[in-house]
Parts: sequence; structure tokens; C-alpha cells
Amino acid sequence: MQDECRKVLEQVELYLDGELDAAERRQVHHHLERCGPCTDHSEFQRRLKDLLRAKCGCDDVPPQLLQRIRSTYATPEP
Amino acid sequence: MRAGGGSVGSRSAAAAAQDPALRARFERDVLPLLPHLYSAALRLTRNPTDAEDLVQETYLRAFRGFGGFQEGTNLRAWMYRILTNTFINSYRKKQREPVTVQDDEIEDWYLFDRLGASGVEASAEAEVLDRLPDEEVQRALEALPEGFRMAVLLADIEGFSYKEIAEILDIPIGTVMSRLHRGRKALQKALWETMRERGLVAG
Repeated sequence: MQDECRKVLEQVELYLDGELDAAERRQVHHHLERCGPCTDHSEFQRRLKDLLRAKCGCDDVPPQLLQRIRSTYATPEP
Repeated sequence: MRAGGGSVGSRSAAAAAQDPALRARFERDVLPLLPHLYSAALRLTRNPTDAEDLVQETYLRAFRGFGGFQEGTNLRAWMYRILTNTFINSYRKKQREPVTVQDDEIEDWYLFDRLGASGVEASAEAEVLDRLPDEEVQRALEALPEGFRMAVLLADIEGFSYKEIAEILDIPIGTVMSRLHRGRKALQKALWETMRERGLVAG
């Protein structure tokens, strides 16, 4: 693996999390445009993020919960 | 950022309850966060009864503190801070922590490399991941040690920035990064094991 690839793969998590500054982001982006293997890695990491969001963030809220919540604060304490 | 609790700003809970405008704002801005907060509570407590109690307690504390909440600041982060604090203080004690993962030996790109070695082409990865049932992905996340789980949940499911997560969990940004990295690696290992158990991959 080339040094540039190694560096990019170390930064991919930060890149996908939107935590790189503009110059670093451009560098990673530029590298990914030209490097198939790094793009595969990056896409995979992105899919893992998407997977969690798609499968762990939308449970059905029990129907009575909203009412329970509203009843706890609806009555001022004595 | 101030999280809910007893001492909150200039107005008491009773005042908040009696202030129709404040209450209307709470209902307009805070109640719609319920589905996300409930999912997060489920991942933290790992059971629906505790999750409901945790969310209810979170809303009650938030309501009490809402008079002191600065409009225009980060309401979602404020709510997640109350949620995680309430969880840590009230619910965690009841639960057994999962065995700490020995993650030093989980290499980077754990799942990517194993899928590749088992013959899954990059173009087919999405499909393999997608075939994982929701409950299995949830179980893998819920099996992470609490500190990792909260970081991954806040970053990947709720989309908070590192800085926001640091504020919500009251930890340094470096710790956020380390927990995310280690949590994601441990998650990849758990997902790989699930894939093998369910016969989604060879090997």
C-alpha cells in the first residue's frame, strides 16, 4: 500500500464524519477520485454508517408513551 | 450546555407548567424528538420497559429545566445530554455491563477485509449488509460497552458532530474519536459473526 493510501485510509472515518478541515477534505476527496481501492474502503465505511442509521434509529414508539409523558408534566406540582 | 435536573435557571417547574407560552414551545420543539429519543433509549437500556421509563424521566427533567434553556441553542444536543445523564445516573446501575471487548486485536477494516476474503465483491457488499435483519444490527450495537455504544449511537444514528458528542457526554474530543473508532471496530466484528451464523457469507 502506498503512503498516500495509508494516510487517506487513516483519515476516512474523519472524512465521512465530516470532521476534516476544508484543505484535508479536498485532499482526501481528490485521492478518492483517483484511487479505486481507497474508494471501495471509503464506500464500505459509509455503508456501515448508513446501516446503523437505517436499522437502529426508527423503532415504533409505544402508542401510549406520548400521553404518559404529557401527563407527567401537565399537572403542576403542589 | 446545561442539562436538566433540579437547579435550573430563573424559573421553576411550577412556573414552567403555568407559563402557557413556554409549555407550548416545549410541546412544539421537544415532543417531536420523541421517536429518536425512544430509539436511543432502547439501544441504551436494551428493553422496552426501561426505555419508556428513561424517556419519560428525560422529558420530565427537560420540562423542569426548559425555562432555563436558551432558545436558539442546540436543543437536540441538550435533550441527548439529559437522556444520557439520566441513563447513567438511574438505569445503568440496574444493568450488567457486557463483558469488556478485547478490541486491541481487532484490526482496522475488519469486516471489509473478511468480506473480501470470503469472495464478496465490493459491488455486492451493500446487498450483504442489507440482508442483516434490523434486530441483529440492533443486538450488535447493544452488545457494545456503554461508552462505545453511546458514541457510535450519537455519531452514526443521530448525526452529531464530535464536538457535540464531547459536550453531550462531557468527555474530551480525543476520547470521542477513540471510542468511535474502537466501537466501530467491535461492531464490525459482531456483524461479521452474525453474518457467519446466519449463513450470509461463506467461511
